[in-house]
Amino acid sequence: MQMKNRILAMVVGMACSCALLSLNAVAVAAEAASSAPPPQSPAPSSAPTSAAAAAAAAKAKAIGAQVEAALAAADSGAPASPPAPASPAAAGAPTGAPVTATAPPGVADTRSLDEGTQQLKKDVVDLNRDLFVLEEELLFPANTQVAVYVSMDVGEFFALDSITLKIDNKEVTNYLYTPREVDALLKGGVQRLYLGNLKVGNHELVAFFSGKGPDNRDYRRGASLKFDKSIGAKYLELKIEDRQRKMQPEFEIKDWE
Amino acid sequence: MCLVANAQGFALLGQSAPDFALRSFGGTNVRISEDRGDVVVLTFWGSQCGVCRRQLDMLDRSFTTYRSAGLHMYGVSVDDDAAHARQFVAAHPLGFVMLEDPAKDVARLYQIDNLPTTVLIDRSGIVRYVYRDFGPRDEALYLSQLRELLNE
Amino acid sequence: MRVLRQFACVLLAALASVAQAAQPHDPQKLAPIRVQDLQYGDVLFHYYQQDDFEALTRLLAYQHWNQLPHHELDSQLLLGGLYLSLGLYNEAGERFSRLLTPDVPQGVRNRAWFYLGQIWYARGYLDKAVDALRQVQGQLPAQQAAQRVHLLANALLRQGHFDEAIALLKSFNGPPDWLAFAQFNLGVALVRQNRMPEADTNLTAVGTLASSQPELLALRDRANLALGFAYLQANQPDKARVPLERVRLNGAYSNKALLGLGWADAALGDYQAALSPWTELRNRSVLDSAVQEAYLAVPYAYGKLESNAQAAQDYESALTSFAAEQKALDGAIDRIQSGQMLKELLAGDERTHYGWFWQLQNLPDEPESRYLYAIMAGHDFQEGLKNFRDLTFLGSTLDVWSDSTQAFGDMIDTRERAYAQRLPQVDQLLASGAVDQLQHRRDDLDARLNSIEARQDVAALGSAQERARWEQIRQLEDALATAPHDEQNDALRERLRLVKGVLFYQLNDAFKAREWQERRTLKDLDLALHEAQSRWIRVDRARRSVPTNTGEFAARLALLKTRITELQARLVSAEQAQQAYLQQIAVAELSDQKVRLDAYEVQARFALATMYDKAASESAKPPAGAPK
Repeated sequence: MQMKNRILAMVVGMACSCALLSLNAVAVAAEAASSAPPPQSPAPSSAPTSAAAAAAAAKAKAIGAQVEAALAAADSGAPASPPAPASPAAAGAPTGAPVTATAPPGVADTRSLDEGTQQLKKDVVDLNRDLFVLEEELLFPANTQVAVYVSMDVGEFFALDSITLKIDNKEVTNYLYTPREVDALLKGGVQRLYLGNLKVGNHELVAFFSGKGPDNRDYRRGASLKFDKSIGAKYLELKIEDRQRKMQPEFEIKDWE
Repeated sequence: MCLVANAQGFALLGQSAPDFALRSFGGTNVRISEDRGDVVVLTFWGSQCGVCRRQLDMLDRSFTTYRSAGLHMYGVSVDDDAAHARQFVAAHPLGFVMLEDPAKDVARLYQIDNLPTTVLIDRSGIVRYVYRDFGPRDEALYLSQLRELLNE
Repeated sequence: MRVLRQFACVLLAALASVAQAAQPHDPQKLAPIRVQDLQYGDVLFHYYQQDDFEALTRLLAYQHWNQLPHHELDSQLLLGGLYLSLGLYNEAGERFSRLLTPDVPQGVRNRAWFYLGQIWYARGYLDKAVDALRQVQGQLPAQQAAQRVHLLANALLRQGHFDEAIALLKSFNGPPDWLAFAQFNLGVALVRQNRMPEADTNLTAVGTLASSQPELLALRDRANLALGFAYLQANQPDKARVPLERVRLNGAYSNKALLGLGWADAALGDYQAALSPWTELRNRSVLDSAVQEAYLAVPYAYGKLESNAQAAQDYESALTSFAAEQKALDGAIDRIQSGQMLKELLAGDERTHYGWFWQLQNLPDEPESRYLYAIMAGHDFQEGLKNFRDLTFLGSTLDVWSDSTQAFGDMIDTRERAYAQRLPQVDQLLASGAVDQLQHRRDDLDARLNSIEARQDVAALGSAQERARWEQIRQLEDALATAPHDEQNDALRERLRLVKGVLFYQLNDAFKAREWQERRTLKDLDLALHEAQSRWIRVDRARRSVPTNTGEFAARLALLKTRITELQARLVSAEQAQQAYLQQIAVAELSDQKVRLDAYEVQARFALATMYDKAASESAKPPAGAPK
């Protein structure tokens, strides 16, 4: 009898704290109650004093909280499919997958691990930047640097296929464009197609581009520009536009003096 | 990194797969670095080589099976005569993309000295396995290695 | 009533689970940007291809070189967003905070507040999130506006400010794909405030929506589930059936729905009916807590139907199943603690393009993978795993650079050697002042020519022969000047005068032409000298920049190499720490499951004990007959 009471109390205690415990526990307890002292009040605060029962009650409470958390976690995971990564708005912060932080901010261990990780990530990012800077300054010092950029500003879709660049009659690059790259250009991205070194003086840039227009016609265009390289970096922009005549992409080379 | 028996001396094993862009026979351009995060199989073939054809069929089957798991496959034609290659492609439609390498730039980049050569590249862009002189016994090994890379 | 309290708990659990997760896929359309600095365009070129890390590196580099003068604000916003995608909350927060000064246009400030709100929310600082989101005044782009409302409502809900959340959601007027989520969250908030009729309207609207998108279908299920449990809690089991029956049988929520349906029937006293969903549920995977409960619910129903033998049998088999499951859990915990499971999971680090929202798609083909689903769905685990993968990715970028630095070193060495070879010559040349000397000589020539012209010194421009003869004549003149005047001397003087005259005539005749010639030569000399001078300047300039150049590069490179090595070491230990952390979470999750099972086991034992007790106490009669 006593044993049963204790078990009963345990069960009651457990049932009444926020757990996914079933109806049946209470029902069974109610049945058993006919042959046992009435069960104690279900409020966890008046849990039976016996150590085992108290422990059980605490355990049950823990179960409840964990179960709830587990459910929350189980359901709340990252959104079913991530937002199209190309998408975030103009200055591009990604959309929120911020979901429940089941560990509250006060958890010291998690925090310090996280802070440390963030610091480390930042250090690596900075180092990457410094290496990028060194590489460019070393290989393409400002005094001799020449950079050729490509931009697209077309009303109708134009599938750029390739661009060939010649500087002083020597081919320096022949670039094939994938749909993904064309898409980035259409969105307003500007590609740094070529980076090189030139001596001070006069030079000539010749560029050919080919692609398919909206009417599925093949286009081939060329353009050339004589330019003067003085001390200091030189930027040239290959602009693909269809301003003047709609449906027909035109090619212009702009010298950013 | 496992060395397949017939892959001795392949210089690029364990290295980052050199990036390149080529035109496909269908017209669009392909740059393999865009597939990073997925597994890429590159197979170098010639239209005159009989073994190549058998291998292409086998690869095609594996492509059909595993493409949804994140597999990209490209055939790089190393034909002296581009017309031959084009004829072959037209006559043997395959599920995966065929690329033309007229100047043999990519073949050189990957140091291809034998046909067919098939290169398996993992999701991080590292060359993991290489097959040369493909034989019937290699199919099982290839499939298991492919699955391994896909499971990563 | 105790039944009520249970339902309340389940409902809370259900609601907690649904509220936070309810947000739609968010493909925002990018507004076109007018690029005014080529380098900014380059950053965008990579960003639009989801090469976030490349975009970030370049953006920072171009900023370093001050090459983005026209895109100050754009850069800060983009930078904030890119940092965010790397999990660098603090940095991102800082960038956005910098944009909050009054001189920044309202539109930009709004976006900064919005992203800050996102960050705080993600970190769990609800108060700050609410404050930040409320700072937004005026318009945000449509999708962001919707997202803002959504976030704010969620934060308010989690703070328990239900009425505010309700008011906010009621006034929501956004894009259609957000509407369902707003209605859902609203419905949940209303349930919490016990406003059932309104809750019903909203949750039913979501619960009956027509769609083929998987996200919306999932939301629909959740809405029905939430409504069903709300009615169970409100003691309206008959009303609970309707929404619960709408939950898809093969969806992620069907288990809970089946459980709820059983309860509804049980609450209505129809235990026979309750057996149907509960038995179905019991046949499903024992990992699910709802299924575990069904293991007990079924015999309970039989008990109610007086099929005590069947009930006892079912309790026994429940205990067997639970024991087996406990064993499986123990095994899984062992594997995790030995590092095995995680090793396989993490071995496939994705050094893919570096994005914030990737999804864990392939689970390894292991027995533990059944648990992994539950573990990995957790937010902490997801974030920890993302951190781990970020660290691995960053490590690989450094590996690549490490190789390059070799090449740089070689390049710098070669340059140094080349300079070492040529520099002495250059220095010598520069020290010689050769060009200056040339200049002087030219000036001298010029002066000479001027004086010749001024004096009309025709002899000076004569040929060597002519000048020699002229000199000769002069000398003879001088000699004769002192000679006495006799016939011989006079004749000589006369002859000399004649010769001189002829010579003079010749010289004079040629003078103009020669003069012009000399001037031309001088002009050519000027040109050559000018070019020599420009070259000289360039050589001088280059020479001046050389020693600092290679020396400086060498020093920078050495420093960078040290940093690379140091960071690679830190990355390794950080990865290990992350692994340990993930292990911890995984083990905790599984331990929780064990504890839950323990509780169920106790219940089952108790119920069994009670049944046997009861049977024993009824005089020797065996437990009542066959199950119905």
